[in-house]
Amino acid sequence: MLEIKNITKYYGKNKAVNNLSFTVKDGEIFGLLGENGAGKTTTFRIIMGLIEANEGTVLLDGKKIDYNETDKIGFVTEERSLLTKLTVLEQIKFYGVLKGLDENKIEKELDKWLEHFNIKSYKNRKIKELSKGNQQKIQFISAVINRPKLLILDEPFTGLDPINVKMMKDAIYELQKEGCSIIFSSHQMEHIEDFCEKLIILVKGTPVVSGSLKQIKEDYGIKNIMLRGEELPIDEIKKIKGVISVNKVRGELEVKIESKEVAPKVFNLVKNKNITKYDLVEPSLNEIFIAKVGGIHE
Amino acid sequence: MNKKFWYLTKVSLNKKIKSKWFIITNVILAIVIILLLNINSVITFFGGDFDSRTNIIIVDNNTNASSLLKENLEASNTEDEERFKILESDKTVEEEQEDIKDDDIIIALENSDDEYLKASIISNDKIDNLTYQLLSQALNSTKTTIGMAVNNIDYDILNSISSPITINRVVLNEETDVDENMNLIMSSVFPTIILPFFMLTIFLVQMVGGEICEEKTTRSMEIIISNVSPKMHLLSKVLASNIFVIIQGVLLIVYAVVGFLLSTNMLSSGLAMPSEFTSIFDSLVASGFLDKLIYVIPLTLVLIVLSFIAYAVVAGILASMTVNMEDFSQLQTPIMLISLAGYYLAMMAGMFEGSTLIRILSYVPFLSSFVSPSLYIMGQISIIDIIISIVILIIFIYIILKYGLKVYKVGILNYSNEKVWSKFFKAFKTKDV
Repeated sequence: MLEIKNITKYYGKNKAVNNLSFTVKDGEIFGLLGENGAGKTTTFRIIMGLIEANEGTVLLDGKKIDYNETDKIGFVTEERSLLTKLTVLEQIKFYGVLKGLDENKIEKELDKWLEHFNIKSYKNRKIKELSKGNQQKIQFISAVINRPKLLILDEPFTGLDPINVKMMKDAIYELQKEGCSIIFSSHQMEHIEDFCEKLIILVKGTPVVSGSLKQIKEDYGIKNIMLRGEELPIDEIKKIKGVISVNKVRGELEVKIESKEVAPKVFNLVKNKNITKYDLVEPSLNEIFIAKVGGIHE
Repeated sequence: MNKKFWYLTKVSLNKKIKSKWFIITNVILAIVIILLLNINSVITFFGGDFDSRTNIIIVDNNTNASSLLKENLEASNTEDEERFKILESDKTVEEEQEDIKDDDIIIALENSDDEYLKASIISNDKIDNLTYQLLSQALNSTKTTIGMAVNNIDYDILNSISSPITINRVVLNEETDVDENMNLIMSSVFPTIILPFFMLTIFLVQMVGGEICEEKTTRSMEIIISNVSPKMHLLSKVLASNIFVIIQGVLLIVYAVVGFLLSTNMLSSGLAMPSEFTSIFDSLVASGFLDKLIYVIPLTLVLIVLSFIAYAVVAGILASMTVNMEDFSQLQTPIMLISLAGYYLAMMAGMFEGSTLIRILSYVPFLSSFVSPSLYIMGQISIIDIIISIVILIIFIYIILKYGLKVYKVGILNYSNEKVWSKFFKAFKTKDV
């Protein structure tokens, strides 16, 4: 279990992370979101022991993170951190030994992962000769070769096609089942919604939204009603108290409402029309992100 | 942790030694060194006239000195090498000139009332210095013999008159006991000895800096530094680069030995050194150079290894401050210039004998490994001074490690060119890494 307790980090006078706290339990996938420069990378660097926080503590299984503890962590960085002149085997051995693993064990584990990603023939190929997608798979393998207790994934799906995204997702779920705590960061909100039970959104180093995904959506309040039908009374819907906006989206009408209590009023207005679709849907994480992050910028 | 340190060192070293560029560089170095040491054979092989025989045609215009000149010229021929083929001609100079070939030299002898003997040397093209000197030496000797005969001077008397004066050189200060020929040795032998050190310093700086810069620019540094401390990382690079340059240095010696053995045919004809090498060796022994080397070699090796460590640490710290390879190329220039300054100071030390400035510079880290040994060989400093240079270098390494590691820790994770110097000055104030 990873425990982040009230960490604050300054770069000069600039506060990069401000009183951040969260916990990632064993087998849990946690989302750390924020726009560029929000403090995600600084947080990851503090967890990895690369830099020290000015205040607060980071504990992995109750222990302060030192070079023994970082052997139990895997890290997929946003930019590929591979020595491209090395072969796949050399690269994985290099990172594996630095994590305290035995060279023979690394090779056996590598074979399993290469098979999982259908790239067994690339074992002795130089990394620079691989496609971006395959390099990303090698980057992922290098992070999980030690079967980590904590896995940090910063934009892990960059450069992957949908088939390979699925392969990597399966691998992440497998690690989750083994009890690995996972911190996931991405600007692709659909991936966060797929994976994360809990998340935090950072704005300029300060958490503005935190909790379980379900609770966050609940607390956000705003819902969407998706309507399809003929001669829908758009002007009348707009006049209902609690309706925020009405927009046409891909042949459907999207009615944004302040709370679920407004939904019956809209239904009553359209129920006698010839409607073929009426769905009350949760707001997307993307919408919440834009509302929360964008709102602060405004 | 030790396991990780040795592994990092091993990977660094393997990356360098197993690279195709190391192999290509060494093949080129081996070829160049062996060819340079066998340049005579190379020139001859490609049809050069380096060792080709010259035909000397003596035209004697009633001097009766041709046999004597022939004898003196034949003295230049050895059992192994016939430099001159000497012919006494009955023809006139004009007749010989009509048939002259490129390898022919005509020597026309004439009587002279004042000088006993006069000569003309005629050839198609310019003749090389050595041949000209041998001809002029033989003609002088012939003239001297004729002069002796004409004036009834005994050979022993003439020998006593013409032999050089015997000088018993005594220098009262034992520490500066040195042959005045040492300057000549310094200008010829010493640059050859320190040139490889200069070259290895460049290899070392490029290796340490290049690797750190590569790890930084590929962002591998974040993964590496999360598993080993920056101190361990830098020290592994320092050790790997030192082992690398020592291996490269040993290889250079091996190439030189092979080239030397080939040039002297010692591989096939036993261990007899040719006369040229024995005479150089004898003059080095006579000048006291070799006696000094016995003391100076161990101390110089210590200085060199410590200097390699200092260069590697500084190169590593500078590389940590760079954000791309172009940056590093610019940053390594000052290091190159410092080592180049050391190289030239060592060569020029003989020209400024007694200079206080050069003596002070011989204690300065980075320069001391070049300058100290040369000043010692010339007798300008003592063993104690070299030991002082070593102590200063050790203190310097300690200081750059203590403060430089703080900069290194900040530098390797810094990817911005903004306020670089401010960041590094702040790093000095942080606690030890």
